[in-house]
Amino acid sequence: MEQIKLSELLDHIQDTIQSQFEGEAFWVEAQITNVKKYASTRRCYLTLEEYENGTKTAEAKAVFWANTYNQIEIFEKVTKQIFKDGIKIICQVKVRYHKVYGLNLDVMQIDVAHSIGTLELEKQQTLERLLKENPTTIQLFDGIYRTFNNRIALPLVINKIALITAPNSDGQRDFQQETKLNKHQYTFFVTEFLTTIQGDNAHKLILEQLQLIEQSEEHFDVVAIVRGGGSQTDFKPFDDYELAKYVAHFPIPIFTGIGHDRNQSIVDLMAREQKTPTKVASLFVERNFEFENKLMALKTNFFGLIQDQLENAKKELENAKRMVKLASPQAILDRGFAIITINNKIITDPKDIKENAELQTILRNETIFSTVIKKTKNETRTDL
Amino acid sequence: MKPELTYSEAYAKLEDLVEQLEDGGIQLDQLAEKVKQANELIVICENKLRGIEIEIKEASENV
Repeated sequence: MEQIKLSELLDHIQDTIQSQFEGEAFWVEAQITNVKKYASTRRCYLTLEEYENGTKTAEAKAVFWANTYNQIEIFEKVTKQIFKDGIKIICQVKVRYHKVYGLNLDVMQIDVAHSIGTLELEKQQTLERLLKENPTTIQLFDGIYRTFNNRIALPLVINKIALITAPNSDGQRDFQQETKLNKHQYTFFVTEFLTTIQGDNAHKLILEQLQLIEQSEEHFDVVAIVRGGGSQTDFKPFDDYELAKYVAHFPIPIFTGIGHDRNQSIVDLMAREQKTPTKVASLFVERNFEFENKLMALKTNFFGLIQDQLENAKKELENAKRMVKLASPQAILDRGFAIITINNKIITDPKDIKENAELQTILRNETIFSTVIKKTKNETRTDL
Repeated sequence: MKPELTYSEAYAKLEDLVEQLEDGGIQLDQLAEKVKQANELIVICENKLRGIEIEIKEASENV
């Protein structure tokens, strides 16, 4: 039996592969796993896999070398998704065989546009599922998602805030600074629920924090989910179906400030979105300022009405005084009228005056004593 | 005045007082009392906005 050395065989394989594939590059679609990134040496080792009906049908080791490592950075920047296990990509590879290291695919570039398309499609599917499975609590009107949560009326004053954020993050600091140092000196009671806001399990961890807030004995006015500047790469947790559904049904108004300008995550759409932590905090300050303004307007209105009522009362009193003065006997006498009395009793009915009665006619300055000689009725009414 | 009144309740009561005044439902001899009530309600709302109530409570607990 003729024997050859293993190295000879593998050299032969290497030559065959090289002659077949040298200089050629192929675009392949695969799911990535075992991703090991070494940013310092700018290398990334990973495995490309393919599945059919849940069964693995192909697998190959792959590597990004220093000259193509920037493809990963571009991918993360553009898709706002971390290059990590489980995601699907389309990438261009070259085949390389080494008798010690075996078969390897050198990744030359990633089709980022395709990845964006895939992400967008997944996002669209999640949104459609949310609408379909929660028809009474999540609805779409004129491109705006109306959910149970984002339709809850806001309290007049925002006082107690549950803050979900990452510990020692920019988001945490910006939010706390804006609420503490607000120019109107409003007081906010902020309770922090700290967790990781990015990574594989972030959506579950955020959901757990929401559950804690719901179970808390504190009656929070609002919930703020914030994330700061440096951590903009990973969008995925906020596009998770379960988290989005939980947010949409959450009984306390949720505000998001997860630091991105161009895109909206699904959680943003289910809640009230304010882009940045600072903007969320200033909205709370503004809400209280609005209340204080309304309060001041009410105060002015109230005291204005009190003043009006007092002035009206004064005027009425003055009128009454004038009327009383006009109706006084002295005022009547001053105007030339006379009062007739018999035995000091004012006579208002002429029937009480008999012929020969002794009358006193009181004028302004004098009283005339007289005896009635004769009484006749006036033929016409005397309108004086 | 109940100490546990919330700002929403205080604000609603203040609105109610204004409405009563507008409708002429408050007699002259009740005005002083209503002004006192309104002032108390405004103080409640203001205190809640700036947390003065809590500060006073904490201060009195520390005595």
